[in-house]
Formats: sequence, C-alpha cells, structure tokens
Amino acid sequence: MKTNDLASRIPWTLVVFLVALVVPWLGSRYNTFLATQIAISGLFAVSLNLLLGTTGLVSFGHVAYFGIGAYVCGILMKTYAMPFSIALPAAALGAAFASLVFGFFCVRLTRIYFAMLSLAFSQIIWAIAYKWNDVTGGDQGLPDVPYPDLDWMNSIPLLGDLRIAGQFYVVTLVVVGLSLAAMRRIINSPFGRMLTTIRENAERASAIGVDVRRYELAAFVVAGGFAGIAGALFGIFSRGVFSDYVFWPKSAEVMIMTILGGIDHFWGPVVGAATLVLLNQETTSYTEYWSFVLGTILLVLLFAFPGGIVGGLSAGFAWLRRKRRGAAGPETGSAEVATVEVKRA
Amino acid sequence: MTSQRLLAMTFAVALIPAAAVAEDPIKIGYPMPLSGPASVYGVPIVKGAEMAVQEINAAGGVKGRKLELLTRDSKASADEAVRLARELIIKNGVDFLSGTLTSAEAPAVSTIAKENKIVFVAPTSKTIQLVSPKNLHPYIFRLASNTDIDGRTGASIIAKWKDVKRVATIAPDYAYGRDAVGAFVEFIKKARPDIEIVDQQWPKLGTADFTPFITAQMGKKPDAVFCDVFGGDFVTLAKQAAPLGYFKMINNRLVDGGEVGTTDAALALGKDYPYGIWSDTYDPVIWPENEPPAHKAYIEHLKTFTKQEYASGWAIMGYASILALKAGIEKAGSTKSEAVAKAMLGLSFDTPIGKLTFDAKTHETGMGEFWGQMVKDDRYPFAIMKNPTYLSQGPYTQ
Amino acid sequence: MTDLSFLFTQFLGGLTTAMFLFLIASGLSLVFGVMRVLNFAHGSFYMLGAYLAWQAVQWLSPLLESFWLAALFAALAVAVLGGLVERLLLRHMYGKEELYQLLLTYALVLILGDAAKAIWGTQQLSVSRPPILDGAIEMFGSVLPVYNLFIMLAGGAIAVVGWLILSRSSAGRMVRAAALDREMLGALGANVGALYTGMFMASSFLAGLSGALVTPIQSIVPGMDVEVIVEAFIVVVIGGLGSFWGTFWGSLIYGQVLSFGILIMPSFSLFSVFALMAVILIVRPWGLFGKPMR
Repeated sequence: MKTNDLASRIPWTLVVFLVALVVPWLGSRYNTFLATQIAISGLFAVSLNLLLGTTGLVSFGHVAYFGIGAYVCGILMKTYAMPFSIALPAAALGAAFASLVFGFFCVRLTRIYFAMLSLAFSQIIWAIAYKWNDVTGGDQGLPDVPYPDLDWMNSIPLLGDLRIAGQFYVVTLVVVGLSLAAMRRIINSPFGRMLTTIRENAERASAIGVDVRRYELAAFVVAGGFAGIAGALFGIFSRGVFSDYVFWPKSAEVMIMTILGGIDHFWGPVVGAATLVLLNQETTSYTEYWSFVLGTILLVLLFAFPGGIVGGLSAGFAWLRRKRRGAAGPETGSAEVATVEVKRA
Repeated sequence: MTSQRLLAMTFAVALIPAAAVAEDPIKIGYPMPLSGPASVYGVPIVKGAEMAVQEINAAGGVKGRKLELLTRDSKASADEAVRLARELIIKNGVDFLSGTLTSAEAPAVSTIAKENKIVFVAPTSKTIQLVSPKNLHPYIFRLASNTDIDGRTGASIIAKWKDVKRVATIAPDYAYGRDAVGAFVEFIKKARPDIEIVDQQWPKLGTADFTPFITAQMGKKPDAVFCDVFGGDFVTLAKQAAPLGYFKMINNRLVDGGEVGTTDAALALGKDYPYGIWSDTYDPVIWPENEPPAHKAYIEHLKTFTKQEYASGWAIMGYASILALKAGIEKAGSTKSEAVAKAMLGLSFDTPIGKLTFDAKTHETGMGEFWGQMVKDDRYPFAIMKNPTYLSQGPYTQ
Repeated sequence: MTDLSFLFTQFLGGLTTAMFLFLIASGLSLVFGVMRVLNFAHGSFYMLGAYLAWQAVQWLSPLLESFWLAALFAALAVAVLGGLVERLLLRHMYGKEELYQLLLTYALVLILGDAAKAIWGTQQLSVSRPPILDGAIEMFGSVLPVYNLFIMLAGGAIAVVGWLILSRSSAGRMVRAAALDREMLGALGANVGALYTGMFMASSFLAGLSGALVTPIQSIVPGMDVEVIVEAFIVVVIGGLGSFWGTFWGSLIYGQVLSFGILIMPSFSLFSVFALMAVILIVRPWGLFGKPMR
C-alpha cells in the first residue's frame, strides 16, 4: 500500500514532460523528429476527444480546424513574414472562429447528421484550400513555411547547442504542454463536468434547464481552437501547408488515434497518437501496405479493446488488483473505486 | 607492452568502421505514390529506378560502391512525402533524394532538400513552380518536361493544321492542367491569330462521368481540341466520348499532352483507343522505325525485369533519374551533395531515349517528349505511336 | 432549334450521371434507412465489383465473351462478401455508438483497398462494351450512346423493383417496420437478424453490380472507392438519408446541377457540391424527400 501511495504522489505528468523535454539533447535528430510529431498529433487528438469522449459529439470534420490553423499560421508567416508570436494566436483564433460559425449549425443536428454536416464543412474548407490559388497555393500548397525566429535561444546555454529543429521542438513542447494543461483544467471545471453530463444524458441536462446547444457549441469552439494550434505547429514542422491536411481521410486518421488510445481518459489520445506515429514509422519502412495494417489494428481495437489502450490497461490493472484482493480477503467493492481512480488519472 | 597492445587494438577497432564506410552503399531515398490513383505511374517509375540500380550494381557500382534504393509510399500526398524525405535523411542517412510524382509533392520535398543540403532529382513533376527563380536552390534538379513545354508543343502541332479555326480545351481542374492550357493558349494565339478558343472545360481530377463536359464541348463545334486529361481519367473520357461522336466530330484532331501515348494508356484501352489522335510519351516503348540500339536493349531488359509482355512508358523516368545521379557522382568524384550539385550543372548523360543535359541556369533538362499520331497496328492488340518524334517547343518567336 | 437540341443533349448527359450515381447510392441508402449504418465500405464494394468483373471477363475470354455473366458473377461475389461482413463483423456493432460503426466500415475501406492493390496491382484496367450495346442512337437531334441508355434503364428498373419490393412484399413490410422500430419487430417474432443480413447482402449486390456495370465506360484504378463514396454520400444526403425515392430524386438533381452547372460556371467546382450538401443538412437535415426522424 505504501508503494502505491508513493507512486500516486509522483506528479507523473511533470515527469513525462521533463523526460520529453530532454529528447533533443540525447543527440538523435530522428528521435526529436518523432517526438515533435507525437506532441503535435497528441494535442490534435486530445482536442478531438473534447468532442468525442467528453461531450459525445462525433465530429467527422475536425481536420478542418487543424487545417485552418495551419493555413492561417503558414500564410501569415510565409506570405506576410509575421512573427510566430502573432501567427500562432491568430491561427488559434481563426480556427476557433470557424468552429463557432460551423459549430453553430452542427450542434443543431443530432448524431449521424452532426457527423455528416461536420464532414461537409470540412470538405468545403478542403475545396477552398484546393482551389484558392492566390492565397492557399491551391493544390500545390504553400511549401517552405519558415521556422519561427528562434535566434534568441542561441544565447541561452544548452538551448543554444541545439539545431533549429531541436529548438522548435522545445517551443512545440511548451505550447503543447500549456495547451494540454489548459484543456485539462477546462475538462475538470464545472463547465467540463456539465459536458460530461450532456454526453451521458442530454435530455436530463436540458430538463434541468441547461442550454445543451450552447454548451456543445462552446466545446466545439474550444476543440477547434486547440486543433488550430496543433495545425499551426504542424505546418511549421512539416515545412509547408498542403490541401491534404484538410482532406477527409485525415479526420478518420485522428479519430483512429483518439480511439486507439482510449476516449474515456484524458491522456488516452496522447498514448494513441504516440502509438500510431511510432507504428507508422516502423511499418512504412518495411511495407507499402500501411492501410491494411491500420485497418487491421482498427478491427482488433473495435472488437477486443473498445476502450483503447489506456482503457484496456486500466481494466487489466483493475482486474489484477481485484484478483490480488480476492485472494487476500473478501471482495469489498474497492475494485470499483480503483477503476474510478484510474479513470480520473 | 600491454599499453602498446591496447593502443594497437584501439587503432584496429578505429579502422574497422572506416573500412566499412568504403563498403557502405550509396543510399538514394525514393518517395513515390505506390497506392491510390497516382500509383498507376508511381509503380512503373519505381521499377525503372530499381532496374537501373540493379544494372549499375551488377557492373560494379558507382566508384566501387553499390547503390541502394530506399522506396517509400508517398500516397501522392505532399506532407507524407515531406515526412518520408526527412525520415530517409535523418534516420536512414540517404545520400541523395529522388522520386515524388505530383506537382505538390516535388516542391514540398525540394524545401527539405534545400534545408538538408541534399541533391534532389525530381523525375516527373512538371510544375513550373518547382524551379522558378523564387524557388530555385543549388540542390534541386528536374528531369521531366514542364507544363510550358507541354502546352507549347501541343500548340505547335495544332498550329500546323491550317484549316483549323475553332479550338477547344479540356484539362483537369488543378495547377497542372491550368498551367499547361495557359501555355497552350498563349502560344497558339501568337502562332495562329486566326484561331479562336471556343470552349474550355475543367473536369475535376478523378471525374467518373465526362459525358456532360463532352456534350457541352461538342455544342461549341470545335475543329480541334487540346486535351490534358491523363491516365485513368483519359481512359474514362475516351470510352465515354467515342459513342457520343466526339472524336468523329473533330476528325480525331485531339492533341493530348498528358502522356496518353504511353503503352500503359494504350494497353488499358485496347481496341477502344481513339485511333488517330495525337499524344506524347516519355518513352515510345514500341519504336517502329530507327529504334536506337540502346533503347532496344533497355526495353528487352525491362520486360524481363518486370515480367510484363509490354513494357511501361513511365519506367524510363525512374531509370533516368538514377543515371543522372550516377553521372553526377562520377563527375564530382564524390558522394558529397555539395560537390555533386555543382557537378550536375551543365552535366550531360546518356539515356536510352537520348542524351539529356541539366541546364546550368534553370537546373532542368528542358526535355521534351516523343509526340505522334496514335494508330492501329496489326502486330499489337493496342494503339501505337506512328513515327515518334522528339519535340520540345520553346517560347513562340516569329 | 439547334440550341434546344443542345440543351436536350446536356439533359441526357445529366441523366446518365444521375442514373450512375443512383445505382451506387441506392444500396447505401437502403442500409442506412433500415440499419442506421452509414457504410463507408460501400465504395469499396463498388470497387471490388469492378475488379471482379474485369477478372471474370479475363477468365471467360478464352471460352466466350460474356460481359453479362461477368457482371452477374461480380455482383453475387460482392453480395456474399457483404453477407460475411454483416454476419462476422457488423452484427456486433448494432446498438453501439455510431462512432464504432463508422470506424468499422472505415477499417474495411482501408483493408479492402490494399487487398485489391495486392491482387490486381496498380495498373489501370478496363473492359470493352458488350457488342450489343456498342454505338449510339439519335434522339431529337442529340446523340445518345446505347450504353448510356442501358444505364438509364437499369437505374430506372432498380428504382421500380426496389420500390415494388419495399412497398408490396411482406419482406418489404418487414424492412419498413425494422426501419421504424427494430425491437418491436423482434418482439413480434420476426427474424430481424436474417432480415439485416439479407438487407446488407442486397445493398452489397447493388454496389457490386454498379461497379461491374461502369467498367465498360470507366477505367478501373486504385482509389476509385474513395472517389465514389463521397459523391454517393452527397446524393444520399440531398435526397434524404435512408429514403429510397429520395436517393432517386437526389441523383437526378445532382446530375442536372452538374450538367448545367458547367455551362453557367465553366469551372464548376467541388465547392458548390459540398456547399449544397451543407445547406440541405442545415435547412432540411432529413433531405429534400425524406421524413424527419424521431
């Protein structure tokens, strides 16, 4: 029991953050590259999960806001040579504004219609990105988006030793860390708890006088804004913004990440993003049949682990604990408590 | 004594990797669409590159080192191509990049090549953006023709048909189609001021039903058509247009700049090919007269290499991209990208379809394509190009 | 006069497009109407129908040239595959959230796409028109290819047969009842499981058949599955998700909008089609011809 207490007292999130922060100093450019990709995908997936897991809205067009963030940031930095410190907030605001407009219509619909309308909106954004040559670069996109000006880092010890990609990773990690912290606070706030209530029983929520649509819209906007931040970072990381960013299969991809990790847990989507990114890197080096692999993973997931990796693990731990207790003495119902605990973590 | 031995051993250990380095293959990263609609071209291009690597290695490699090709599926998506290019550079440590197919992929990967100072040879991307003065850098080289040359060559063919007065265009609705048609219109207006552009259709890429576009165009009664629809889309267009009487109406005076003169397109259409139209191809594959011996040998090898009865007309671009890098390395006497990039300026090298030269200023070969009329030949169950003629039309000058 | 015949030609072109889409979308709409499953894999079944038809033509060609036999084989094979998918996979997802059903069918898109690539490679393939349907006829000064006429008739026939089955047969009554209330039907002793399997097989049959029927006038290429599914979604949404007649009218509207749209706006873009889809979902989520649900 004592060890358990110790383990629960360690601020794991901080530990993970610090470990992640050290990556660029370990010398492998490739690991830094992977870590940047995981951090950004993780943020994107967590933002989707605010809709999927927390509020119970199946958005099949979340990639639209990711794309808008990427384009706003990319256009400002490349075409107008604006600094990152302006382009990033602009990207978040732009994506949040678009989600306000589109979300206004989406939240009026239920279930499958919601999914279809969010898909239609994301395809509209794709069509605009694909066609509006003068601004978005059309089908050729905007290659060569510059890195932010990080020269100030060069005078700082340790940071100065890094290449620009490493320095950008540090920036990414800080932005992602702050965004995740903010989202965690939102989810644990009364507002966030109300979203969960709506997911579990929207009718009851509206019966007690909650404006369900307004709450759903607010969640949509918050999720869209954070997706925009992820998109902005990804555009710089990928050294360009392209219309593929907003094409609908990308929405399916981030959805798979989220489900893979587990939608019932805050950190689930991050775990899912990391797993998928690593798996993709490994698989594509050996085979061109990545889609087949992904489809098979998805099937296994749906049938064997509908709770995702984190859901499966926590259920496994709960089972183990129950078993150990069951051997020691009669069942006391603490297993229930244990699952709840894990769930909250 | 012991310390001396230790020193000797350290030396020996230190020497092993150095020796190994000399044996290490020269790695070439090759992101290319291997799935989705674009894989129709991606797969044969990669086959051509693989064959070149095999031939070169069998002959002892380049400067005593073997070549190693690392192909990856870019899914015809720019951000995937970028990701793969970077992975190939920082994880696999490739010495050079080649590959990419579309007009979005190549400029995107070019950015990565510039950043990492790695020579990148784009075999097939035709966009003028790729090596425009704004985007040009020391490490990017293009093998293929470009949309300007495509459109102008098509125009130079139609311009010779004196009785043609009404010309229409049909091309996919994205940069490639729009740029080529733009170049076509500009050239034909100067060459033949009496010609009127009566209709322009822009079906989207991957259109499943061309019927309304074709009927709309026929309503404007053109005498000739410049078409830039390619690949699977052209197969669809041809099959739907023929029974509507489209080709008959324009007397088969359709010039297509989208390589539907390749054996690949001809094979897919079989006897449904609209015989009599004009098109282009990088490699005629079947060369009825005056076939260069080098080409004959190349096609024979390609057929056994791919185990196909008729070789693909796209493989040549992959094949030539490897020959270009080989020539660059040999001229530079080094595999350092900086030296190779310099060596490639003005570099000439032989390919089965003739000699190519990278222009020192534009970094392009400025290569044209083989053009000709597609005709029926009883020896083959598909259309072949009559008299393949190498054309590369420059800007119009009176 | 010529102007009028030109407009008529354009109308016929739109009608061809429409009937194509109806062939594909009808199955998608049926499954949604009854089972409330939005089947992303419908496009993959269509693609498999095309590849299988090509394959059957190759197998048969030394013996006889029968496109019809090949098409029938392709449609049946896809129907069997659909039955297996329903029995082994989809069945376990009923009653779960839409999210899981969507992702299941998307997993099939990924798997079937790569499977087709592994089997048939990446070359573009095509099938010749059956000789009887070669050529064209003249109609009020416009040319109409015989094959297009055939597609129109096939689309019309499927609409009529589908409507007859749905409205007149006992199976159709059960289908309509299942669409309204599944549990009730089960409680009344109907074999809902078999009904759903049959439904899904019928839908897959239609997908496979439409895939086979387009091969004489379209190329068979990798990625045709993803290309078609979005268009089918648009048509189904315009007409009304799950409404059989709605899908028919939705196809007709889509075909004519495209056909005349390119006359008015030469680069009639994707944008307008998706905008139309969004507007309809906003104004009448149940589509132009559907009924509001619940």
